[in-house]
Amino acid sequence: MASISIRNLTKRYGNFTVIPDLNLEIADHEFVVFVGPSGCGKSTLLRIIAGLEPISSGDLYIGDKRVNGVQAAQRDIAMVFQDYALYPHMRVYDNMSFALELRGTSKAEIDARVKRAAALLHIEPYLDRKPKELSGGQRQRVAMGRAIVRNPKAFLFDEPLSNLDAKLRGQVRAEIKALSQQLKTTMVFVTHDQIEAMTMADRIVVLQSGTIQQYDTPETVYERPANQFVAGFIGSPAMNFFPVEWRGESAILSQGETAVPLDREITGRLRQAGNAVLGIRPEHFVLAADAADGVAVTVRLVEPLGSDTLIHFDLAGVSAIARVDPALRPKVGDRLNLRPQPGKTHLFDATNGQVLL
Amino acid sequence: MNDAATTDRWIRCLNTLQLVLAGIVIMTPTVWMVLSSFKPSFEVTAYPPTLIFTPTLANYAELTRTTPFLSYALNSLVVTVGSTALGLLFGIPAAFAVSWTRISWPAILTLAARMAPGTLFLLPWYVMFRQVGMIGSYTALILSHAVITLPIVIWVLLPSFDGIPRSVFEAAQVDGCSVTRILWRIALPLVASGVAVSAILAFVFSWNYFLFALVLSNGDSKTLIAAAFNFIGEGSTQWGALMAAATLIALPPLVLAALVQRWLVSGLTLGAVKG
Repeated sequence: MASISIRNLTKRYGNFTVIPDLNLEIADHEFVVFVGPSGCGKSTLLRIIAGLEPISSGDLYIGDKRVNGVQAAQRDIAMVFQDYALYPHMRVYDNMSFALELRGTSKAEIDARVKRAAALLHIEPYLDRKPKELSGGQRQRVAMGRAIVRNPKAFLFDEPLSNLDAKLRGQVRAEIKALSQQLKTTMVFVTHDQIEAMTMADRIVVLQSGTIQQYDTPETVYERPANQFVAGFIGSPAMNFFPVEWRGESAILSQGETAVPLDREITGRLRQAGNAVLGIRPEHFVLAADAADGVAVTVRLVEPLGSDTLIHFDLAGVSAIARVDPALRPKVGDRLNLRPQPGKTHLFDATNGQVLL
Repeated sequence: MNDAATTDRWIRCLNTLQLVLAGIVIMTPTVWMVLSSFKPSFEVTAYPPTLIFTPTLANYAELTRTTPFLSYALNSLVVTVGSTALGLLFGIPAAFAVSWTRISWPAILTLAARMAPGTLFLLPWYVMFRQVGMIGSYTALILSHAVITLPIVIWVLLPSFDGIPRSVFEAAQVDGCSVTRILWRIALPLVASGVAVSAILAFVFSWNYFLFALVLSNGDSKTLIAAAFNFIGEGSTQWGALMAAATLIALPPLVLAALVQRWLVSGLTLGAVKG
């Protein structure tokens, strides 16, 4: 068990810089999720921590030890790969015991650890099977078992759920979360799925183009996104963005000349900025009593999800979504008066996307 | 429906016909060689060739009586096994290194060496080996035949190593393996059939290679294939004994290939499709 400290880390491939000057502190026992779109550098960062990619410049510490030049084999970390990377020619038991065998652990100790991990992951009946005789979910468990038996300083997960079907993904997600609470080991988990990030992490690192956009708890990242990128990336469906400006004594959605009722705090900040980008999550639209209190929209598409209903509409030239109560049963073409829920709107700088409020 | 079935039947018939024709073309010289080795010597060159004859082992008896055949066979075996072993010893790590580092020029270099005519190597080797007094030695023959076996091993194994997902090697690294141990414990067991195939191909090519043995061997170290050349004399070729020798020479590679036929096919296609 150990903390992970990344200081002024840069990663370049030739002239192409993937990660420019990154700093990150992961506390001991913490479950941190790296999330971001494809190509944001999250897997590269994980592989750097694992020792599978060299660092171009900067420092990496695992615990108190600087591990820049330390081989993966000597870092005492365990990793679960996207494709599980089980050894095809070895039985499940041998897959799990291999690392311990390399470390010269006694046979009795190996046996005890493998069986304990197998029991924890419910894979005891498969210990004599080869990986090809297992389903995707079982292989995933074996990959986790292989990591657990080692009792490493940290666990690294590289999108381990992406090859599972939706139902199994949810199940394994919960199991990994439970496991992290049980094992109390530092865990770093890479995903492009923001639901995985939100549900599992103690803290989330949102990455874009190799730079950290925000590093905070899931609640904070969701409720107080640091910038427009984070606001758009976290949350499903994504936050709606409307260019907005202060004109006369009203907040006007720029492209549609539509006045929008906003909180005093927001309007105050908008008055200072002149123009900005207004962010409203789909779940933060509410029905207004009348047209004067809200904004009139025409329903373009309805997606009933059972627990709630998504309404697609166009507002001030922007294609937007609102999440409403399924009891509302709106139909395509219906006119609705919507307004943002008080205290739930966000304001971003129109030029650099940084949060204004 | 009937039309489709008829077309299907026609295609199958044509496929069979193609296979039979190809089989005849490929097998005729071999069958002719084997049959001739059992014919009385005057019938070997008879025209038209006789298909019905009384089989005799006279050619084989003649072969063993007039030549130290077993000694030549032993020479061939030593040189072939030695050069195959040498090819595997260096070819396996070389192929793994090329696959691991993705630096392909060393593999291309060995392929170029294999594609170059043997005579290119022959003169410098002859001079070098003569200067160090190695002409006629097994060492000289084994080393020269490694030029045949090494590229075969590398190029048969390269796609096999490439076919192993990179993450499996990375998992082994994270588990605590050095690169050497990854080769030994992870990669090699996964390409076992490829190793078998490369060994067989290397064996066959080395066994059948004629030129180096002809120049670099002497009376004591002559290999079978070089010795068989002596049967072709000026105006007095012993065709019967030559056919018997050719049959015996062809036997080990054929037996080997037959024994591991299934592996051979799977090994040659290894790495072509990711499992």
